Amino acid sequence: MRAVGLFGALITLTFIAEASTMAQAQTSEPDTREAAVERAQSEKAKTLHPYVPSRAERLITQVENTLVNGTTRWHPYFENSYSGGGFALGAGYLQRVSPYNFVDARGSYSVAGYKLAEAEFVAPRLFHRRGELLVTGGWRDATQVGFYGFGSDTVVSDRANYAFEQPYGGARMTFWPTRRLLMLRGGIDVARWSLKDPMGRPPSVQTFYTPATLPGLGAGTTYRHTEATVGVDTRLSAGYARRGGFYGITGHDYTDTASRFGFRQVDYEAIQHIPILRESWVISLRGLASTTWHKDGQQIPFFALPSLGGGSNLRGFSSWRFRDQNSLLLQAEWRIMVNRFFDTAVFYDAGKVAAQRSDLDVKGMRNDYGFGARFHSPFATVFRVDVAHGREGTRLVFATSPVF
Amino acid sequence: MRTQRLGLLFIVASTLSALGSSVFTASPHFYRDDPIAREPESQDASGAAPSEIGQIYEMAYNLIAQPRYKPSGLRAQNLNTVDEVPDSSWFTNRIGARRLTIEEVVRGPIVGAPPDPSHWVIFREKTSGAHPGVTARDGKGETWFLEFDPPYYPEAATGAVVMATKIFWALGYNQVESFLTSFDPKNVQFDPEATLRRPNGKRTPFTDDDLNAILERVARRPDGTYRVVAGRLLPGKVLGNFRYEGTRPDDPNDLVPHEHRRELRALRVFGAWTNLTDLKSANTIDTLEQENGRTVVKHWLQDVGSTFGMNNDLYEWDLSWEHFYQTDTTMKRLASFGFALSPWQTVNYTEAPAIGKFEGQRFDPRTWRPQTPTTAYMELRDDDAFWAARRVGAFSDEMIRAIVHTGEFSDAAAEKALADILIQRRDKILKTYLPAVNPIVSPRLDASGRLTFDSAAVIAGVAETPPTYRASWFEFDNATGNTRALSTTSSKTTTIEAPSGLPTVAGRFVAVDIAADSTEHQAWRRPARAYFRRDGNDWTLVGLERIPEDRPSQSATR
Repeated sequence: MRAVGLFGALITLTFIAEASTMAQAQTSEPDTREAAVERAQSEKAKTLHPYVPSRAERLITQVENTLVNGTTRWHPYFENSYSGGGFALGAGYLQRVSPYNFVDARGSYSVAGYKLAEAEFVAPRLFHRRGELLVTGGWRDATQVGFYGFGSDTVVSDRANYAFEQPYGGARMTFWPTRRLLMLRGGIDVARWSLKDPMGRPPSVQTFYTPATLPGLGAGTTYRHTEATVGVDTRLSAGYARRGGFYGITGHDYTDTASRFGFRQVDYEAIQHIPILRESWVISLRGLASTTWHKDGQQIPFFALPSLGGGSNLRGFSSWRFRDQNSLLLQAEWRIMVNRFFDTAVFYDAGKVAAQRSDLDVKGMRNDYGFGARFHSPFATVFRVDVAHGREGTRLVFATSPVF
Repeated sequence: MRTQRLGLLFIVASTLSALGSSVFTASPHFYRDDPIAREPESQDASGAAPSEIGQIYEMAYNLIAQPRYKPSGLRAQNLNTVDEVPDSSWFTNRIGARRLTIEEVVRGPIVGAPPDPSHWVIFREKTSGAHPGVTARDGKGETWFLEFDPPYYPEAATGAVVMATKIFWALGYNQVESFLTSFDPKNVQFDPEATLRRPNGKRTPFTDDDLNAILERVARRPDGTYRVVAGRLLPGKVLGNFRYEGTRPDDPNDLVPHEHRRELRALRVFGAWTNLTDLKSANTIDTLEQENGRTVVKHWLQDVGSTFGMNNDLYEWDLSWEHFYQTDTTMKRLASFGFALSPWQTVNYTEAPAIGKFEGQRFDPRTWRPQTPTTAYMELRDDDAFWAARRVGAFSDEMIRAIVHTGEFSDAAAEKALADILIQRRDKILKTYLPAVNPIVSPRLDASGRLTFDSAAVIAGVAETPPTYRASWFEFDNATGNTRALSTTSSKTTTIEAPSGLPTVAGRFVAVDIAADSTEHQAWRRPARAYFRRDGNDWTLVGLERIPEDRPSQSATR
């Protein structure tokens, strides 16, 4: 039937409403279009009700309201207490203490038995939005941290394990004098390293080393750590960027309260994101060099030495794979924008550790390459999976932060 | 939402089946008041309650569920019998329906006086729109929503709002009165009750630092003042956003599912022309208003500022070329490591402070994409697009340049470029959509039996005159819907003689199927049907079906 209908559907509704009284309907047919529509409206007026959202809409709206209203309290927490602990699962409880400031208490437990319990106070809008203060205190337990010896020529079979517990507390202030570009950061924290017998298949470091051959072994060390950073940051966000860069120098002073293991360290970091073809590709480059100096008559303990290996630097090698007094890391990624929420990347990492600063060159670097996938928001990396292959095998990295 | 709509269609279909043809035999095809010019709103809607759609829900729904949506192919359901959209609380026929002067279009939705910017009293943040702003009272105490320009487009965002409100008003939509004005921080006060919502969910007093946080992110003039666009507070009670599918269950006058309202489907065409990429419900608003002594729900396109490339950030190129998420482009880039290029990666844009990422060279109205597709967007048919294209085509070059001039751009070259792009995009819309269906318009049958009509595509200069037009004539029984073939006549022009033997009795009907023998446009061979009623000695057009329901249109998408 050809529907000539003006407002055919509306008339149909009228008929539906009066289907039970067909005879009357036929005798009381409206004689104008206007009357037909008005009849349908009159029928609808008898069954009005507020909008009823579907179950999915209710659920998602509830989540949205919770996030937008800033009333989120309980949240998942996936950070490990220490690098190398494997997949960690935990929870946090966030309590707003003022319009912008909050305290977040959280904890996690990893597949390797690493444990974390900490609380952090965050004041993100100090000095008219020029400064951010973080005050953190907590306790961590790392049960099987690898140690392979010093230098870049160690082999996997040299692995020994150590473990430690660590109460810690400190504060860090970041200051942006011009609100962008120039960044200054300073911090102080106190941490107590208490080594203990490790878990896991590899033998304990005590099997191969003595306090004389491995500085720091068998000693409890309490550090008062101060740090200062000056940097230039042109990225929109450190959590996710497709252009801009960061260039900074950080100086550390580790003072051992017992004056046995005090040292200083300087980190030089350069990051640059080079957009290509309207940011659909990005060449991301990073260089990070760390150098240390021991204080007079003191030694640098093995567990505090610069290191390479793990999910954010030499990804094809296990965490803490290479340690020595100095380190150099070079990373390059070719990032591909797949869509607004998802990037892939092809990457190459190279690095070395060395006893002498003069040895920090590109000779003898350990390297890996791989492929990554990252889910992100405009300003943060939500989830990252990297598959990295190095000479010691292929490793899978899961992280909730950018590699750089 | 989808379930409710399908449920309604099922009920309609089931009931029609159960009732058989007796119902239709009881009602005429054409009522004596056809075609109506205004959609009746007979019931009091004062019971309608505020209802918002969550933005995350809407985005998730539109990006995840919508791609699997299969357009119904149904003809728009709010049409009168001559294939036009009657006036309503949604839409008012303006351009294309009557002659609008340039002065009228330039005035647009404005009925009141502009704001008095001598001082502003801030009392709240701005709750909508892509760019930073505040809600404030002007020197006369009237409430306005102020929006600033981003620093990288120092005149474009505010200019876009002003221009777009005039365009969408002329197209027929309810629009907010918007003015370009200035904001001098030296003449700003905070209302003692002014508050701002904080991350902890509480509202605390608005401070200088809050204002500074806004002003640091916007374009500042050399004299320390700011260019702003001021939107007047809408009258009536605000009910929240309207949805692009289903009906309001608390509005008795809202009978046509929104995805089947032609003016909402047509936003796909108007959006493509103006690059209105942010088509989400959050940019719409329903209000309760008194009209003719009755409370009715009025529907507004509240925020049309995401036009002319102004929804893009400085480093955001894919808007208007892709939805926020598309499986096809995602897979393409994933598999090719990004080597399979999309148009947005190489398209050239005019670089000027007044112009966002807006261009006309590679613009294709069928492949234009808003951030997220709505159901009404998905339901656009070729006849809807044809209707919309005729309205776009009604904007003359002179009119477009006058509208762009209201953006008050300091760069005359940029103003010209913006108008040129709009003209170029308009022409592409005409070329795409006018020939896509049988473009017969304005059929007239005079008392002597001479049928005259126009071809919108030929008149617009986007198609050649076909060699022959054919008209198949029928006597039409308005009570039963039955037809009796009379004859077929033809002509090389848009005037065709009727056969002898047309009814001469008042109240009788004839139907005429008008088609064109065009080799270039196959769609023109499908006849459009016109219905005429004998009124005295004259014939009155009472019906026009460009694509009848039993001949579903291809979706107007590619």
